[in-house]
Amino acid sequence: MPTQLNKELEHKFVTELENNQNIVHKVCSLYTNDRDAHNDLFQEITIQLWKAYPKFRGDSKFSTWMYRVALNTAITLYRKSKKRVRTQDYDSVIFKVKANDYDDTEEQQLKLMYNAIKQLGDIEKALVFLYLEDKNYTEISETLGITEVNARVKMNRVKNKLRTILNP
Amino acid sequence: MDELELLKKDWQKQERQLPKLSYDDIYKMLWKKSSSLVKWIFYICVAEFLFWIIISVLPIKGGEISGKGTNFITITDWVLQIIFFIVILYFGFQFYRNYKSISVTDSARDLMKKIIKTRKTVMQYVWFNVGLFALTMVVVLLEVLIFDPPQPLIERISTADSTLLAWLIVGVFFAFSIAFFGLLFWLFYRLLYGLLLKRLNENYRELEKLEV
Repeated sequence: MPTQLNKELEHKFVTELENNQNIVHKVCSLYTNDRDAHNDLFQEITIQLWKAYPKFRGDSKFSTWMYRVALNTAITLYRKSKKRVRTQDYDSVIFKVKANDYDDTEEQQLKLMYNAIKQLGDIEKALVFLYLEDKNYTEISETLGITEVNARVKMNRVKNKLRTILNP
Repeated sequence: MDELELLKKDWQKQERQLPKLSYDDIYKMLWKKSSSLVKWIFYICVAEFLFWIIISVLPIKGGEISGKGTNFITITDWVLQIIFFIVILYFGFQFYRNYKSISVTDSARDLMKKIIKTRKTVMQYVWFNVGLFALTMVVVLLEVLIFDPPQPLIERISTADSTLLAWLIVGVFFAFSIAFFGLLFWLFYRLLYGLLLKRLNENYRELEKLEV
């Protein structure tokens, strides 16, 4: 019966999302500035993923498919982040740098870096995110809908932009 | 080492510091309501369709006009009604097709493009209606003036010092009212969709710029 099938689908989906939730959290912390917004965006991404899930054929990896839906939701569909104030007081889990792991200059550098990324535009953020996640240019170009050449060019520009923000 | 490489290394190490939601937390989210942009656009667009259909069905055409013009009015009215419904059907179909084609699994660029296209259809529909509404008003007014002029107005104008000037004033007043409502409308839409689509338009422009 359909209900039984639905239950199975739900279970499968929630399990996969639970295992891959890091991807969504990382997108949320890039695109939001406080915890409420983070949770809000996480929820919206979950809803979008769930709505699209019946059409997920499994010909790509669940995680690959997730990157696309999560980024699309953050860049295009999410509405509540209009008042995206650039406050630095968000002790985001991601942007808290562990002191012991690095010497002072490195730590300082990383802090600056994360702040710099926060100041980029939505599309640039997406590029940096995909770069940090070690995605290749084919995947980046398919996710954003631009050609591979342009993805490469733009990525270099964003990298340079970050470097200049760091070393003015 | 390059700062960016350092960052990449650090980024990938952060995973253990991320929040962790439980199975139940995620499960509960499945039944929450989406507040996505597409949903908002859908609701507003449907409201616009209904609004104009209701406006067209409302009997605002004071039926007391009598005399030799009646025939002409009835025919114009019929023609307008038929055009109106054919066009509404066309727009409704287009809107439905565009809306259905919106898919969150498209590339970011395609997704934005489709949302913009969906909205454009409805904007065209709205402008068509505004135009038709203005046209109807002009037609009705001309009909009234030509076939069944309101006596008090005519008397006043003919007793005025300058008949031409009096008519001019009536005309200017009428033109101003149309312009005023047009402006109000335009402002309303700028606000409504401007706020809703500001971010999307910005991001779309940014992506488009990449492709030149």
